[in-house]
Amino acid sequence: MAIVELSKLNVIGLNDLKPQILKSLMDIGVVEISNQDAKLNDENWKQLVVRDGDDTTVQNLDSKISMANSALEAISKYDSSKKPLIKTRKPIKETDFEKGLKTKDETEEIILELNLAYKEIIRLKNEENRINTAIIGFQPWVSYKVPLEITGTRFTTVFIGTLPITAVLEEIENQIVPNTTGVVVYKVSSDEQYNYISVVCLHEEKPQVLDVLRVSGFNPITFTDMAGTPVECIDKLNEDLKKVNEEIQSYEKIITDLVNKKETIEMIHDHYVIENSRFKALSQIVKTKTSFYFDGYLPKDKENEVKTALDEFGCYYEFTAPEKGEVTPILLKQNKFSESFQSITDLYSTPSITDIDPTPFLAPFYFMFFGLMLSDAGYGVVLAVSCLILLKKFRLEGMMKRLVTLFMYCGISTAFWGVMFGSYFGDFFPVAAKSVLGIDITINPVWFSPISEPMTLLIFSFILGAIHLFTGMGLKAYILIKTGNTMDAICDIFLWYVLLTGLVLFGVGGSIAPIVATIGQWMSIVGAVGILLTGGRKKTGIGKLTGGLGQLYGITSYLSDVLSYARLLALGLATGVVAQVINTLGSLAGGGIVGAIVMLIAFVFGHTFNMAINVLGSFVHSSRLQYVEFFGKFFDGGGTAFNPFNKKTKYVEIIKEEK
Amino acid sequence: MEIFNGQFFALFGASVAALAGIGSAIGIGIAGQAAAGVVSEDPNKFGQVLVLQALPGTQGIYGLLIAFIIMLKVGLFAGSMADISVAQGTFIFAASLPIGLVGIFSAIAQGKAAAAGIMLVGKKPSELSKGMIFAAMVETYAVFALLISFLMINSIQF
Repeated sequence: MAIVELSKLNVIGLNDLKPQILKSLMDIGVVEISNQDAKLNDENWKQLVVRDGDDTTVQNLDSKISMANSALEAISKYDSSKKPLIKTRKPIKETDFEKGLKTKDETEEIILELNLAYKEIIRLKNEENRINTAIIGFQPWVSYKVPLEITGTRFTTVFIGTLPITAVLEEIENQIVPNTTGVVVYKVSSDEQYNYISVVCLHEEKPQVLDVLRVSGFNPITFTDMAGTPVECIDKLNEDLKKVNEEIQSYEKIITDLVNKKETIEMIHDHYVIENSRFKALSQIVKTKTSFYFDGYLPKDKENEVKTALDEFGCYYEFTAPEKGEVTPILLKQNKFSESFQSITDLYSTPSITDIDPTPFLAPFYFMFFGLMLSDAGYGVVLAVSCLILLKKFRLEGMMKRLVTLFMYCGISTAFWGVMFGSYFGDFFPVAAKSVLGIDITINPVWFSPISEPMTLLIFSFILGAIHLFTGMGLKAYILIKTGNTMDAICDIFLWYVLLTGLVLFGVGGSIAPIVATIGQWMSIVGAVGILLTGGRKKTGIGKLTGGLGQLYGITSYLSDVLSYARLLALGLATGVVAQVINTLGSLAGGGIVGAIVMLIAFVFGHTFNMAINVLGSFVHSSRLQYVEFFGKFFDGGGTAFNPFNKKTKYVEIIKEEK
Repeated sequence: MEIFNGQFFALFGASVAALAGIGSAIGIGIAGQAAAGVVSEDPNKFGQVLVLQALPGTQGIYGLLIAFIIMLKVGLFAGSMADISVAQGTFIFAASLPIGLVGIFSAIAQGKAAAAGIMLVGKKPSELSKGMIFAAMVETYAVFALLISFLMINSIQF
């Protein structure tokens, strides 16, 4: 439920045993190996050690991984089996994994084959496109019966080309004829843009003819590498196309035949990934001729496991506590409930070493705020149940699992507040009963209905907000006291508590008893004067005076912080009223079968839409209340997450067997 | 029967509130352009950018909400509209202005923030939540306007 205490580990061992040691550490998977750049730049170390590492192997493995990836991509294109909604890692026993690797060479060949076939298909698809374009190019010339390689007779030249549709052929002919012996302009075909023409003239008069034609926008066309009449050319191209298609099909068949090898390839892929990270880890290690050194961090409670492994290989090692102020990676540990809420912290930032883990504190507030904003029993149940199904049906891991669990909890909270406010898919049941069945039913809220008593919920929201903010300030005070700044905790937090509580009592306490208001008045004065006097304590000169004023002016930010919680009411209203709109729309068709069907359609589509948009809204705004209002009071973030040296596989999860 | 009676002003108010949809449409449009740009580079980001694109849509919903409440209040759905004095009608009209106006402008501004967030996701997909928060910061003011409109209409007595 907090930031896990880490130990620092220094290890010296023999180079000969290095591969086994790394393998064993990877199996345990709890040590993060630190970067040794600082040591390599240190004068004392520089003389003794050099950087370890094996770049060629890493590169080699990188290319193997990308080969496997493209093989899998090829398979996924031609795999006709149903794909799961969510990709999850498949659990596999360690022995089975090793068994799968026995056929490694064979699998590598299959990967190669798939890559080749896939590349060929891409090439052939391009070829197909080229041929299709060529066929389209020949279409206007279908009725041109002269073989294309014939460019003239003994005395005449024949050529073809396009003229814009606006050019009038007779006019052009008339322009040419006076200067030449004669010319034949023959229209082959035309479309919206062009006339496709062939021209026959004497060899020596071609330049004059072309001059005139060009003025009208003539564009000569030549078909290179093609012989025969256009119809023959098209036939030939169609034949090519058929051949290309057959080839594509044969390559596609190669791939579809290998679809069943998907799992083996995935296993090989993950095997390479594991190997790769092991070789990459080498570059974090420094070595001498016969020995190596590295340091890193591990959770304190895992020391024994690592100890046993290192003893086995005769390493020299020591565990030390990190020095004060040393920047270590951050590992968070949660209880079962707050675990899922860590996703909210993770989405913001990993805590820094001086922070406290905000997750357990934000969890109850997030839970409540989300429920208040969505506040519909129907939506809540749908959300919780669908998340539960996802969790049961898929082996979710990491962030995905946390978020889905988070939404499941939030669904429960939503259902709770829905019952409190009497909202079950808005007012669906009363409306449906009245319009379809003609009977009046009313569902009374357990607490009150926000639509008829918005002020109550608004005040409730502000009270929740104040508690949230005070919790945040309390955490800040805790951090300050823990780091020995008790004075700061008193001046910056405690005085504000006095002032703010005083102001609230002064404002509303009068309705309870006049004395409460008077107490509030004096608390406010004490708080305000205190802040005024101490606000500038860290400044010098005139700043001592103005600092206090500046601090006191900060009261506006508390005001805006509290007002921000009005969104709890606003989003709750948005869900409820839009749900009402949907139900009203559904009831417009009246009673009977038709009315019931219209109601059903409006229900399914309307409420799906409303729920989707409001789940998004509730998620975003609950997060915002944490990030801006709550975290702003005490949380810095900016730490680096603990990233242990372990097997970061993509497709399979290797399950260790008990020996 | 006079045209500019209380009922007219009340319905005019409902229309003004619904105008917040203009802002949402423009805002979603702006965000959509950015989203299409990002998806053209990486189609897998469709889901992420769609979430961001949807954010400026809430103002339209808030406008709809106020319009609906006005319609409910004046008894438009009950068959016959309530008898509303000109004063009451203008009250309702006045109450609809915050969400109508703030809705339009805040949704456009939010659309721009969402578009920037979409660009952010284009470069750093892991920072989706931060992009969402930037856009949600703008929405606060639409929330306030919604509250003011709602509380005003709720307290007008017939």
